[in-house]
Amino acid sequence: MQASAALAAHTGKLDLAIRHVLAGLGHGIHAGRERGAGVEFSEYRAYAPGDEWRRVDWKLMARADRYYVREAERDSHVAVWLVLDATASMLEPSRSVEGLDKLGYARLLLGCVGAIAQRQGDAFGLLICQGERAHFTPAARGPRQLQRVLSQLDRFDAAGTLPSSEVLRASLHFARAPSVVCVASDFLEWPSPLSEAMLRLRGMRHDVRALCLQTEAEIAADFDASLAWCDPEGRAGGERKLFRFGREARAEYARRREEHFGMVAQQCRAHDIPYVAAPIERAPGEVLRAWLRTRGGRP
Amino acid sequence: MNSLWWWALPVLLLPILWHRQKREQTKAAPLATARFLPQSEPVQLRVWRFSDLLLLLLRCLLLIALIAFLADPVLPWRGDSVLVVPGADPAFIDKQVRDAGLPDARRIDLPGRDAYRWLHEHEREFNPEARLLLVGDVAMPAALPRLHHPVTVRPRAAAMPPSERHVAIYSQRAEEWRKLFAALDGPQRHVFDEQAGATTGLVVWDLPQSPPSGLRAPLWWVADTSAFPELRKAPQADGLHYLDSPRGRLWSAAWLPPRDADAARTMFASWQRLHLGLAPHTAPPQAPVVDARAPAGPSGGALREALATALLVLFALERIVTHVRRR
Repeated sequence: MQASAALAAHTGKLDLAIRHVLAGLGHGIHAGRERGAGVEFSEYRAYAPGDEWRRVDWKLMARADRYYVREAERDSHVAVWLVLDATASMLEPSRSVEGLDKLGYARLLLGCVGAIAQRQGDAFGLLICQGERAHFTPAARGPRQLQRVLSQLDRFDAAGTLPSSEVLRASLHFARAPSVVCVASDFLEWPSPLSEAMLRLRGMRHDVRALCLQTEAEIAADFDASLAWCDPEGRAGGERKLFRFGREARAEYARRREEHFGMVAQQCRAHDIPYVAAPIERAPGEVLRAWLRTRGGRP
Repeated sequence: MNSLWWWALPVLLLPILWHRQKREQTKAAPLATARFLPQSEPVQLRVWRFSDLLLLLLRCLLLIALIAFLADPVLPWRGDSVLVVPGADPAFIDKQVRDAGLPDARRIDLPGRDAYRWLHEHEREFNPEARLLLVGDVAMPAALPRLHHPVTVRPRAAAMPPSERHVAIYSQRAEEWRKLFAALDGPQRHVFDEQAGATTGLVVWDLPQSPPSGLRAPLWWVADTSAFPELRKAPQADGLHYLDSPRGRLWSAAWLPPRDADAARTMFASWQRLHLGLAPHTAPPQAPVVDARAPAGPSGGALREALATALLVLFALERIVTHVRRR
């Protein structure tokens, strides 16, 4: 399990890691409304790297000496929105697996979701929440869109805080068509502009799915007591505050943390938002399966 | 005894501890979930970082120099050596050096005949595996010396160089006194001065009247004590009255003037033994005992001057740097 997480951490290429995770999952993880490519023929399109070989029209290739892909008629308007929280707190590393952090893990899982959406022919877009603005990639279909989304995911490093509520609200104009919104965050701030946006989207009858990333060290409250710690997002107020792990502090930490995430889970449940809390040391495939499980329990 | 000062080296820990920085722990690792922890006060930590490294270095060097100065270390810098007693025949030395197989050995000219004493004082300057050859008219020690190094001794008695002793005789029977001195054999020649001068070593006063006030000599033989009444109350040893006066040392005894041959022999023997000093015999070709536990000689103090200079320079630098830092 850890090997898989470590592999994800050390694969520099996001698309390779995604392929590895999805290979372990098989197909049909998401019950898309569209039944895959090529049900009802619509048009030919030039082959692009990343297209499945089985969708290449070999007869046409023999005639034209070029690769063409058969495009299917689509009647689905489901869009998948990938929402990444890229604030400084997402830099939190795993204390047991070297090189693995929450942001990398979130990137990998969102990339997997994007790849699944692309395979199913769904449109998908990306929203990265960082700093003063939300970085927005409009929804589209196809392998090029996947490459665009992956490169955008790769471009951002964790820094700063969440954008303000107004900025996020202004970015929600995309959500007109019915969509699946996959939010990967550590949800350390709740309520926050992001949580407000999630609840608002849920109120608009979108399928909002929350993935709360944690680390095993956080769950066990197991940190070095000799070090001083600081909040990576807590410097805005001027002087930096220091924190320390003592015996009493540890119990207090565990209590407050449990309280906070209990509240988050409870709010999600109240708004019918599937909420998955997962340590990043867990195998990405398992977490992905749990995250995308439909409400009836069917994957 | 001096080397015990090296135990003072832990004193160096003091400046090191003083210069250790006391600073607030401000280095903190980021932790995303730190907000769940109760806030803690910054802790004062002594960290292994040093303030004013230059000053620390100077102070440590100053202490080391001081301890070294007190401990007076001796560095073994001499290798195979040939110790040459002054007056040795060069041809004899060369032959002995060849025979001993020490052609490349460094030659050290000793200050005097007492070679063993010099060797005892300077023995710590020699490497442990240094071979030593002692050549020349080595004075015979009272006991067989014990040294750390094996020493090959090649003694050879040297003829005493002829020398002169100036004697001024004030007596009615000066001729008899002169005969007495002429009877002495040996390399010394006695020169009789009419008037005692700067070179006169002995004045024989055999007159009843007092000598003129300007007359001075290291030793006076007073044959007629009526000239020096204070001599009668002077301390005596073995029948010899002696007194240190502004004119010089005065002797009077029963054998002054000598009445017979024994008295004359006693007179000259006492002169040689008590005033001129005994010339030691030449040592036999007997190797000293090699003993690793033999007591080390007194320190040479060879580094004392350099260390004192270093101490002074370091002290001045330390003061300057401290002053600059305060401003």
